[in-house]
Amino acid sequence: MSTVAFLLTQVVNALSQSALLFFLGVGLTLIFGLMRIVNFAHGALYMLGAFVGYSLSHWSGNFWIALVVAPVLVGLFGAAFEFTILRRLYRRDAPAFLMVTFGLALVVGEAVRLTWGSDALQVPAPPLLADVIFLLDEPFPLYRLFLVATGIVVAVAIWQFLERSRLGLLIRATSQNADMASALGVDVKRVRSSVFGIGCGLAALGGMLAAPLVTASNGMAATVIIDAFVIVIIGGMGSFLGSLIGALLVGFVQVFGNYYLPDLALAFMYLVMLAILMVRPGGLLGKEA
Amino acid sequence: MSAALRPLLIVVVLVLALAPFGLPPFAMTLLTEALILGLFAMSLDLMFGYTRLVSFGHAAAYGLGAYASGWLLLHTGMPLLFAVFGAALLTGVVAIGIGWMCTLATGVSFSMLTLAFAQLLYAISFKWTSVTGGSDGLAGIPRTPGPFGFAALTSKIGFYYLVLACLVGAFLLCFALVRSPFGAVLRGIRENEAKTIALGYNTRLYKIAVVAVAYALGGLAGALYAPFAGFANTELLFWLLSGQVLIMVIVGGSGTLVGPILGAAFFMLMEHQLSSWTEAWALYFGLIFIAFVLFAPQGIWGLATGRLQMGRLRRASGP
Repeated sequence: MSTVAFLLTQVVNALSQSALLFFLGVGLTLIFGLMRIVNFAHGALYMLGAFVGYSLSHWSGNFWIALVVAPVLVGLFGAAFEFTILRRLYRRDAPAFLMVTFGLALVVGEAVRLTWGSDALQVPAPPLLADVIFLLDEPFPLYRLFLVATGIVVAVAIWQFLERSRLGLLIRATSQNADMASALGVDVKRVRSSVFGIGCGLAALGGMLAAPLVTASNGMAATVIIDAFVIVIIGGMGSFLGSLIGALLVGFVQVFGNYYLPDLALAFMYLVMLAILMVRPGGLLGKEA
Repeated sequence: MSAALRPLLIVVVLVLALAPFGLPPFAMTLLTEALILGLFAMSLDLMFGYTRLVSFGHAAAYGLGAYASGWLLLHTGMPLLFAVFGAALLTGVVAIGIGWMCTLATGVSFSMLTLAFAQLLYAISFKWTSVTGGSDGLAGIPRTPGPFGFAALTSKIGFYYLVLACLVGAFLLCFALVRSPFGAVLRGIRENEAKTIALGYNTRLYKIAVVAVAYALGGLAGALYAPFAGFANTELLFWLLSGQVLIMVIVGGSGTLVGPILGAAFFMLMEHQLSSWTEAWALYFGLIFIAFVLFAPQGIWGLATGRLQMGRLRRASGP
């Protein structure tokens, strides 16, 4: 294998990993930016997305239907949770949210285990993407390229949504000053429900897309939530662009670290995060120290 | 804590001291573990409840203490008591460094830095196999008897008394600490750090100090756990434990020292009871947390003392 081809495949690998991480991180950072909530249940919703996606693609026999419907269902679930429970807590301090989302993570995790069992489930990639293509004569799974493309499309879509759409404008306004936005007639409650739902839906999209690579399993929530935290912290809590940079950084550190420094790979991500926080306590693009 | 509660606490300690005469061995095991976790949760309350330093990585203290005492007991033949206190001391010293770096940040960033250090230790515990045993952890940790009649502490009941003594001692230490001028500064940091700085206090030094004390006591809890369970593994450093101990503090009632101990006991009892009733205990566990946040924001201790005060008011205003 030539060095160039090897590097190319590693880079694409890292990009596809970053795409999955980005789906997680961007939802978490949007939710934090708007509501100052660190959503501990984000990993559990990622997992829920994978399992709902598994069932949907089995019933419908179509990966694409599942890919669209699973995030919508999980997003609606998230919005309902905000509507029924989180909404009562906005006057309370951060620990209340910590506990309530930790509780949600436990409930969702257990509900998934009861519904789908403890075994890892295979979610096959759609036939169209199950193929292998050749990058400089090196075989490479097409599915990973598809992930990179999806990541780019979703990132651009969210960016345009935040910058151009009316709801995006309301989200930015509410993030900056919820009281002022409310005084100007913004229905802050509805904005919060939508953002929590969108964030959860994005996590589910990540889970659904990760499933063909890593299978849907009960363990996928616990590890992934920490990755998501790291991304958001590196990028700066509440920053959209920060979550993109954080996801790329973590994706590359994970893939290249695993190859070049396998003994340190686990620790490497945290070392990067520590180094960044030492220099910029609020994260790369964060405002708060 | 009001003076009226002091006799109550003394009664509770006496009951705990007499517990081995009335409880079956199985219940003693549970009680010992509950007290160890209570010590762990109380140590976090110093940071969380009194200083508003929300640590997401308190498992670092527990795991470090457990691995240190486990290693000392396994490889140096050091007596139980020395190993336990040595491990706690080591954890406190390491915590000075951790505290120094984490207090560069505030708020959520502080939480995430503590998490990062805990996960770093978690990663190290996996990879530094020659010392930590890797994913197997340290197994077969002995309770080495000491030279000056400490041998009594190595039996099941003796070990229970060691744990109880550590908990009571640590409680008295924390109680004295939060009532001292030092504690007043901590509360100042909790309520308004900028004002406390303006009053001329170097709040960062105070924060590093409280991190060191909290980690040392958390390390003591971990150092007791290793010889209690006979093993130390990577789960003791995993973030899930950090989340759980935070929940124990909140469920029990933060900023009260006693509350987190109750929270830990409640946590253990619920986990034990629910898992004996149903496979899906985590489901009910999660629902209980959510219910606590919605309906009992002050925690168990808040519920209990609120009830007491209400009763007193009713009596005072009665006929």
